[in-house]
Amino acid sequence: MTSKRRPLPAAEPGTAGLVPVVQVRAVKVAFGGLLALRGIDLDVEQGERLAILGPNGAGKTTLFNVIAGDITPTSGTVAVKGVDCTRLPSRRRPRLGVARTYQKARTFEGLSVTDNVYLALAGHYRRQRVPWRSAVDRRLRDEAGRVVASVWLGDHRDTPAGALAHGQKRQLELGMAIATDPDVLMLDEPASGLSRGEREHLVELLDALAESVTVLLIEHDMDVAFRVARRVVVMADGEIVAAGAPEQVRADPKVHEIYLGSEGRS
Amino acid sequence: MRSGSPVYRRGAALALLVVVLIALPSVVPAFFINFVMTQTLMLGLAAATIVFLAKYGGMVSLAQFLLFGVAGFMYGNAALEAGSRGLNLGWHPWAAVAFALAVTTAAAFLLGALASRTTGLYYLMLTLVYAVIGYFVFAQITEISGPSGITSIKRPELLAAPVSLYYTALGLSVLAYLGFRALGRTAFGLALQGMRDDPVRMASLGFNVPLHRTLAFTLGGFVAGLGGLVNVWWNGQIDPASIGIGPTLILLIIAVIGGVSYFEGAWLGAFVYVAMSTYLRDLPLIDRIGITEARFNTVIGAIVLLIMVLSPQGLAGIADRLRRRPTRPRRPAAGSADETEAAIRRAQLIDE
Ligand SMILES: Nc1ncnc2c1ncn2[C@@H]1O[C@H](COP(=O)(O)OP(=O)(O)O)[C@@H](O)[C@H]1O
Ligand SMILES: [Mg+2]
Repeated sequence: MTSKRRPLPAAEPGTAGLVPVVQVRAVKVAFGGLLALRGIDLDVEQGERLAILGPNGAGKTTLFNVIAGDITPTSGTVAVKGVDCTRLPSRRRPRLGVARTYQKARTFEGLSVTDNVYLALAGHYRRQRVPWRSAVDRRLRDEAGRVVASVWLGDHRDTPAGALAHGQKRQLELGMAIATDPDVLMLDEPASGLSRGEREHLVELLDALAESVTVLLIEHDMDVAFRVARRVVVMADGEIVAAGAPEQVRADPKVHEIYLGSEGRS
Repeated sequence: MRSGSPVYRRGAALALLVVVLIALPSVVPAFFINFVMTQTLMLGLAAATIVFLAKYGGMVSLAQFLLFGVAGFMYGNAALEAGSRGLNLGWHPWAAVAFALAVTTAAAFLLGALASRTTGLYYLMLTLVYAVIGYFVFAQITEISGPSGITSIKRPELLAAPVSLYYTALGLSVLAYLGFRALGRTAFGLALQGMRDDPVRMASLGFNVPLHRTLAFTLGGFVAGLGGLVNVWWNGQIDPASIGIGPTLILLIIAVIGGVSYFEGAWLGAFVYVAMSTYLRDLPLIDRIGITEARFNTVIGAIVLLIMVLSPQGLAGIADRLRRRPTRPRRPAAGSADETEAAIRRAQLIDE
């Protein structure tokens, strides 16, 4: 594997604000012969709200998978808070403050809503393998209950996740992602399949996040994307084709071409 | 928390059952205690480890009877003073117990670690390979067993058959049952269930999936080893044929007819199997209708088939369905390729 490694700034206390929270450098991902990412460079500053747009198959989810560690890039590097984590397994990323949701909701179908969120907390607070229940667990469970209520699932605490409606599963996923107070929150099409009311919920919830939280948002719904994001990146065919403030990107003829072109074809 | 009443009722039913089982030796003949109940309890203990791994972890293991056997062989080797086969270490019986459990647990850890990255059918196949290899190890290495096994193994004096040994098996079974159930509500147990549903998601939440699966398998092996100790105390001997493919499959059958998503099913299935194999051959006229010794397995097979057709959830599933008939949620249609996993998932939804 040939990776053109560029030196990354070391993580030092006190430089936190200066180093971008997420640094993606020359990342390429090949699936067999298919190049899903053709060399992505992306810096995300702390507290940024970034929307990633682009037609289906553009490579948005793949980029998320690389940042979250579910996929190791074919070449290039990824750093979170200045720490090179290109080859760090995904289970180590929560410690860096990274949390994500998946495009197709991935919840634990056989477990209750509260238990789903509890597991997110247990993973974060290093209680993964504790074979008994203690006061700490009761606190985590209480916390899970509060998170469940905050994503409007208070009436479904004991419902198995498998029995939730589609929109409720997305809310649960969001709860699992925000439960641990992540520094970097990555949401893969959180609004897809949601009703209008649920979309309002979602935007409200994202608005309520602390200023310091960095949010990366893949979204097809321009309305949601432009309301949440201060910066927009447009991807197509594994490349970033446009970036900038929402108004700027909205006016970009290249973006129009991609969207209208792809709609025209399909 | 959940509404208290079903939990309370379940606890009361269990307490009542334990009281009955404790009183049993003074009511029924020693033969029943020794041959039916003690065997039921030790096979149930081993089958419960299959249920534990399948229900919580989605791992269907065929290696549990091997680990059951490893504990027995190790105890025999350590406890026996003299004999034509085995190591004849002549240790104190309790030292032999500690040794047997240590070796079984270590073996389970290694085997579990090797299998920890596989799932589904591959897990089943890999653990089947363990069982086959284990059989040949004990059959061919004469230093620790050889084909005719180890005989005249003494049990610790405290555990005299039938009653003390029965109580030992009962105590271990109750502990395993309560322990497995309690574990399901802890971080470890919930995480194991999360890995059954979506291992990738669990990893992204910060869990080490292979290590977790390995530890679960190790615990299962330890408990199967406890069952194996009761077996060797009860039998006084152990040979490789007793842990071969036949018995391995029988243990799986026990778990399945009991209901692989219910812990109580393990002992229920064991009871049905042991009762059938003890009494069916003695029924009057049974040979007249053509059921000879050689055809006995066919009869058991037919009964297993019948139970499976009547209830894919096994006997415990039937009991469960009767209990909650009025409010039972509609079950999603079956028919996917991984039927077992779907069944486990379904059971999970309607359990508790
Ligand atoms: N695991 C995979 N194996 C093979 N091809 C994949 C895989 N994941 C994504 N792809 C392909 O990579 C391309 C980008 O996919 P994806 O990142 O999911 O796009 P987006 O999220 O922008 O719709 C698509 O052509 C897709 O088919
Ligand atoms: Mg996608």
